[in-house]
Amino acid sequence: MLEQWRIAFGALRANWFRAALTALGVVIGVSSLVAVTAVSAGAQRQVGDSIRRLGANVILVDGEFITVGTGQSATDRTLTPDDAAAVAKLPMVTAVAPHQDIESLSVSAGRYHTVTRLFGITPAYSNIYNQAATRGRLISAADVSFGRSVMMLGVIPAARLFPGQDPLGKTVRVGSHEFEVIGIQDRKGKLAGESLDNRVYVPLPLVLRVLLGGGTTKSIGVRVRNERDIGPAMDAIGALLRKQHNLPPSYADDFSIEDQAAFVKEAQSATTTFRVLTFALGGIALLVGGIGIMNMMLVSVHERTREIGIRKSVGADPLRIQVQFVIEAVVLSTLGGIAGVLAGIGATRLVGSLAGWQTLITASSLVLAFCVALAVGLFFGYYPARRAANMDPIAALRYE
Amino acid sequence: MRDRAGAKVLELADVWKTYRSGELSVQALRGVSFVVREGEFVAVMGPSGSGKTTLLGILGCLDRPTSGSYRLVGQEMSELPEKRRAHVRGAEIGFVFQAYNLLPRSTAYKNVELPLVYGRVPLRDRRQRVLDALADVGLSDRASHLPTQLSGGQQQRTAIARALVAKPSVVLADEPTGNLDSASAQDVLGVLERLNRGGATIVLVTHSGEVAERASRILRMADGLVVADEPAKPRPISAPI
Repeated sequence: MLEQWRIAFGALRANWFRAALTALGVVIGVSSLVAVTAVSAGAQRQVGDSIRRLGANVILVDGEFITVGTGQSATDRTLTPDDAAAVAKLPMVTAVAPHQDIESLSVSAGRYHTVTRLFGITPAYSNIYNQAATRGRLISAADVSFGRSVMMLGVIPAARLFPGQDPLGKTVRVGSHEFEVIGIQDRKGKLAGESLDNRVYVPLPLVLRVLLGGGTTKSIGVRVRNERDIGPAMDAIGALLRKQHNLPPSYADDFSIEDQAAFVKEAQSATTTFRVLTFALGGIALLVGGIGIMNMMLVSVHERTREIGIRKSVGADPLRIQVQFVIEAVVLSTLGGIAGVLAGIGATRLVGSLAGWQTLITASSLVLAFCVALAVGLFFGYYPARRAANMDPIAALRYE
Repeated sequence: MRDRAGAKVLELADVWKTYRSGELSVQALRGVSFVVREGEFVAVMGPSGSGKTTLLGILGCLDRPTSGSYRLVGQEMSELPEKRRAHVRGAEIGFVFQAYNLLPRSTAYKNVELPLVYGRVPLRDRRQRVLDALADVGLSDRASHLPTQLSGGQQQRTAIARALVAKPSVVLADEPTGNLDSASAQDVLGVLERLNRGGATIVLVTHSGEVAERASRILRMADGLVVADEPAKPRPISAPI
């Protein structure tokens, strides 16, 4: 058997340039397979991570602006504390977190200022959105009930407002109002292009009473028991809010309900096109590569007709000849496979950094890609090897 | 004249070979029968088209007779499947071809080793046997040379070493001197003669009377038949090797 491998390597070395060109198809095919599985696995992990960051099984209810005649209130939304309380009574709902936010708000600390997104929250919000403080503490129930002027910073405003300093205990100004920094939120990363780290959080009553005025909130985060409850809960909340708001059947909803996990999954579909295209490309490259190998092996068998005759005349049976040529094809395709795995890792890194996608190269995907290359060699090497094995020894020996 | 009392190595009985291509059919052998015994040196002579190369193909288990019986060391070959025939070729037959038929990218050593590789001789036993075979043909110092680095005579002697290394029952030589100058030809014939004196059974196909005279027995063929089977003329003392 060892002998067979030596013969195969020798034959390939004698025509190494031809062999390398032939293997290129397999290299491209395998590398695209490696890249596509890495991007898929990365996307899958990213969905999982995002859902974990957003909070699992959370539905977001957004209220529309209240319209009076043709005028629209700048701040008032349709969702009232009563609405939140009613939603909380639904059987599948386990937590309700009304919250308010102001986008593109300028905040400052000393001579530094930055533009960020301010959230008015309660501990229920921290709970359903899995908030955690790396330093200091979260907004507490006491902060909310006493209306304390405290603030938790995301990592981006923390760095911009307090470069090189410890923000804890320092003061952040929002308009004329001052907040004491009590905590820094852990790093959340991005969701659908928006950084979840460029945010600041204060107790909800302060936003409602001090910064905006009024008692309605823009949003209510609702957590349900499990993933299966999401659909029914969305329907139930919709019906409930229409009733709460006394909307006649001819009126459109004055709120919107979305499943944030679905939104995340939707955002990930950006990579789906890439994945399908690359997978198709990989498959085609492997097919073409396999045909290339078959073609080269047929040429090789033809060129070595005499050699085959000689080997048969000194006692090589058809199986030995067949194995020799199959091994040659397999060596070619697996060398292509190894090169493809390496190229695939490189391509994955490149695609990941150019497109900004999270990628994940797993050992099993590399093994799989390698096995595919092996299978291509076996499959496309079989027929030429069979031809060599079945050659008539006399005709082969006389072949010039 | 050599002793003819050895065991039967080759036994042909009424062997026919017909080649067909479309409507045409050519009868290359038309009922050939003869016996070659152990230790004989037989020359098969005849003009081209007389069927001697076809005969050699059948003797070498490279080809099957259309009808008739061919026994090699007592075993019927004509119905054997290809796999078994391959093993018989490796174990019982050594070929020497006009065109040497060495593998061009393999050294003399590797070429001689081939029958042992296919005969599944363990690696540790191969080396000595290959070196012995190369020594038998006087090429001990050429083991690591490629065929292109050897003269024609040396290449043919390498081929003879390859034919002998598996200790076959018979060596079949097809115009072994056809591509050689006369000095190299004498050289190669000398090696064959010496091997024959050492006990090897040899069947040699040639159209040259001069070459045939080195054998102990001459089979003359014409039109697919053996037309004469006679001992070779006593020859003068052979030229030094």
